[in-house]
Amino acid sequence: MTHESSVDPKLVEEILKFNKNVLEAPKLVPAPDEIVLEVTPHDVAQEMDKVRLLHYKPLTDKQHKTPLLISYALINRYHILDIQPEKSWVRNLLQQGFDVYMLDWGTPTAMDKYLDFDDYINGYLDGAVEFIKNESSVEKISLQGYCTGATLATAYTALHPDSVKNYIATAPVIDGWRDTTVISNLAKNMDVDKMVEVIGNMPPEFMYYCFSVLKPFEQGIEKYVKFFKNIDNKKFVDSFLRVEKWLSDTPPIPGELFKQWIKDIYQDNLLIQNKMYVNNSLIDLKKIDMPIFTQVAVGDHLVSPECSMPLHYAVGSEDKTLRMYPTGHVGMIASSLSQKKVLPELGQWLLERS
Amino acid sequence: MKSQSPEETVEYYKHLSLFWTDLIHLMSSKPQALGSTGPMRAFAANSKKVATELIQINENLIGFNQFLTEYYKELAETWNEAQKKVNLKAPKVPQDVEQIEAFKRIWIDIFDNDFTELFDSKKFGENYGKLVSKELELTKHWNNITNVILQSVNLPSKEEIDEVYKELHSLKKRITKLEIELKKSSGKN
Repeated sequence: MTHESSVDPKLVEEILKFNKNVLEAPKLVPAPDEIVLEVTPHDVAQEMDKVRLLHYKPLTDKQHKTPLLISYALINRYHILDIQPEKSWVRNLLQQGFDVYMLDWGTPTAMDKYLDFDDYINGYLDGAVEFIKNESSVEKISLQGYCTGATLATAYTALHPDSVKNYIATAPVIDGWRDTTVISNLAKNMDVDKMVEVIGNMPPEFMYYCFSVLKPFEQGIEKYVKFFKNIDNKKFVDSFLRVEKWLSDTPPIPGELFKQWIKDIYQDNLLIQNKMYVNNSLIDLKKIDMPIFTQVAVGDHLVSPECSMPLHYAVGSEDKTLRMYPTGHVGMIASSLSQKKVLPELGQWLLERS
Repeated sequence: MKSQSPEETVEYYKHLSLFWTDLIHLMSSKPQALGSTGPMRAFAANSKKVATELIQINENLIGFNQFLTEYYKELAETWNEAQKKVNLKAPKVPQDVEQIEAFKRIWIDIFDNDFTELFDSKKFGENYGKLVSKELELTKHWNNITNVILQSVNLPSKEEIDEVYKELHSLKKRITKLEIELKKSSGKN
């Protein structure tokens, strides 16, 4: 009597290959610590406390007159906008002839717990804008804000409209009550006063918890299975490790800033209602009257489109454009889609106004 | 002998009591002074503070455990429900690579959807908020105990360090303002 195995030989082969890939992974790929994330050459143009203003070196002979300042988010670091040459947001803009600056918010320490919206908007952001205006001999600059960096940039633009020629809001956190993400649900139930009183700055570990509840199985299991399956694919592995390294490196958020952000944006939703104050000045979104370009990702599970889109309708600008892209929060800024569609559209829009 | 009124008797005993209490305190504080520069000074008062904090930690731990149990209960219930849905949608044991791939996709989609629904629910959000709040209460007590130890070795407490940070922050702001005004006025000149 013969015994026939019902196990698919392809399945055995697949399991053995996966096992081999896991064992060989350390030989084939670098450790995340060995990867350098900064790819496009730049100078540190200005330093304000722990905040650095980066100025990227031009990649074209001629540059458009109006410089562009990018206000990166407060969560994770600016590297995602320059994650690798073929997916670099910054490099693409440089290749289109723009003069690009970016704010690196640095790593706040315990002594920075009292830094608030006023320090970031009227201090660091305004300091950077004034520096660029002076360096480039222009009256106004173009400003782009990404994610929570767009919350700051939006408030700045409403308070200092005379300094901003064009405003680009990329996945901005604006209307906390309309936000349908898990993050918003957690934020709405936070005792943020107690949190800041007891622990001061918002620790990175708390942010990692928030990330872990976003698509926990796709991001927590499947992603790594894919990584080991594709261990021979140099391009995939490099991209994966860079993004992973970026994801696992988030600085603390200054306590006072975090408190006002959670309360005014997510809990009381003051910004979109034109009721938010920064250092006794009311932020009136109608005062944003320059050309504005709002970029929203349909599959954004960090900042839902419903949270970002109200900005387009709340501003006082007559020249306003809203674009929606079939991608996610990171896909909008660091993917082949962003290179092929998002950035060319942004570049064209900005070129016509620079 | 002249008889005393009741008021005078009360006054006499009050004075007697105060006299001896004060005298005993003065006498006993002399040997205590020997340890006044060491870590054991104010030992009794410090021990009382630490004991009070520990009692409160215990009270908070009860609340913390309650919310933590609810947290894991919600996770376990969602897991069970999601697994039931997977069993309904993919009842057969996958036999080959393609079937395993399809099964995995179904499993991940259902689990991600169900867990996102849970994390997005009011019930989960409220319990999570309370859990974190209790955790912060525990940290607060731990901070208070640490403060007692810090002060016993003449180091500043967290509150005192925070005061310095606050002062530094306000000074920095004032300097920045002054610098801007200076720039403006030198520009005018």
